[in-house]
Amino acid sequence: MSSSLSALLSVTYYEPGDDHLIELVHQRDTAGRRRLASLAVEIYAPDGEPLGTVDIDARQETLDLGELARGYLGRRSRVMIAFDARYDERIFPYRPHHYGYLHRRGSAGPPLYYAVNATLGGVPDRIGATGINNFETYLFRTDAGGGEHSLILGNVSRFSPTTAQVFTYYGEARLAQDVTLAPKAHTEVALAPERSGHRLARVEVKALFRLATYVVGRHPEGRELVLFDHLFTYFK
Amino acid sequence: MARGLRGIARKALGVARTPTYYLPWLTRPGLDCVVLVNNIEARFKPEHNRGPFPSSVGQYDADGTLVQRYPVSLASSIDTAEVHLRPTPAGFGFVTVDVSHIHSDLYTTLSDGRYYTATHGRHEFVETYPAWARVLLAAIGRLLALGGRTIAAFRREQYVFVSGESRSHLLVMNLSNVVNRIRVVASRDGRRLANRLLVLPPMGSLLFDVSQLGDAGAAAPAVKHLHLEGNAWFNLYLVGAGPRDLAGPLSLMHVK
Repeated sequence: MSSSLSALLSVTYYEPGDDHLIELVHQRDTAGRRRLASLAVEIYAPDGEPLGTVDIDARQETLDLGELARGYLGRRSRVMIAFDARYDERIFPYRPHHYGYLHRRGSAGPPLYYAVNATLGGVPDRIGATGINNFETYLFRTDAGGGEHSLILGNVSRFSPTTAQVFTYYGEARLAQDVTLAPKAHTEVALAPERSGHRLARVEVKALFRLATYVVGRHPEGRELVLFDHLFTYFK
Repeated sequence: MARGLRGIARKALGVARTPTYYLPWLTRPGLDCVVLVNNIEARFKPEHNRGPFPSSVGQYDADGTLVQRYPVSLASSIDTAEVHLRPTPAGFGFVTVDVSHIHSDLYTTLSDGRYYTATHGRHEFVETYPAWARVLLAAIGRLLALGGRTIAAFRREQYVFVSGESRSHLLVMNLSNVVNRIRVVASRDGRRLANRLLVLPPMGSLLFDVSQLGDAGAAAPAVKHLHLEGNAWFNLYLVGAGPRDLAGPLSLMHVK
């Protein structure tokens, strides 16, 4: 393998019952429609236990996570899936991303398209976020249409456990909680929708290094994902 | 069109590019759209975090008309303005936001009253063509349209998924003051399925059901590759719909 290749570690989560597909071809434009040089997918249980590693044929256009995860899920409600990719840096204009599609089978809700969290790697001199990327923020609607939200946090570190601080804001009030994760462990942290008459307005996540974090909204009845979005770092 | 050639053409046509932050909007009966204007990402930058921060949101309808301009003022960098967009008969388009005092990603949300989906906008630009260039492009565009073609000045590639339980729509936005003819070609496994020529008015938008491009999808989602090319600057968002299609809850998502 060429030493000029760049590396990217992206992370998503799979829940049983979802149709969940990931794009493997990165399309800057027609001429730049290039494939990854290689892709290995790793699957982890919530406690960080490695469940399997699968080498993926990088010539595939999309990857069906439901099919991939079927043999590893057991009774688990979620597995973390890490995409360890090598690619020619000409593929990406700056910050690389895989893109995904997910929809719970039988749900009356809409499917979600989303950007898979590009947790580590990329082309350093093309990444806009050259500053801190392990302090992330997300804002919420505070009116009646708000719904309930949570965070899914995953520790992509190979050896180091970490404690993330999760701050939530309600009017003038700020609440803090610590979440400790073993290497490769992941968890869902519920965010109270309201406190003292104020709706949840904002969440912040701080950690020693970047975590694989998503903001999640769930359908009030079926509990399937209706929001699955990345957080934002601060002004670059 | 190669980037260098496009630059030369832009100069020859006298095209001006105005930096613009834009987001899509979509309303339906029982589904409201709120834009969250904020400056939260600038809160630790001394040169950017002292309020108040004046701004405004301009709501453009599908036909390109300005529906309303909403003045906004953020008292501080941790303040958020929730701008409820006005429903229109078309029910979709895009908004532009004055971000001359704002340095943060902005969100657009769709709520059915119980939960909402969200995505963020893009800080890119809007193209302005002089009158003579608009006339020239319109004439060439009409001619090429006879053969189902357009001037391929800008291209985008996109994967979309359709199944018996879900639909995907493109919310295509014309970010210019000329009529934008956008050709969409769908293929699957290298096999061409169908193509369409979409015509968007200046600053207008179009909601397009990709199941019209052959292969409506079975129980499992079918993947389609879309190639889009247009004569002026454009972008698109993906609109996800459940079994009730546009009459049910919807999601919005940015793409590359």
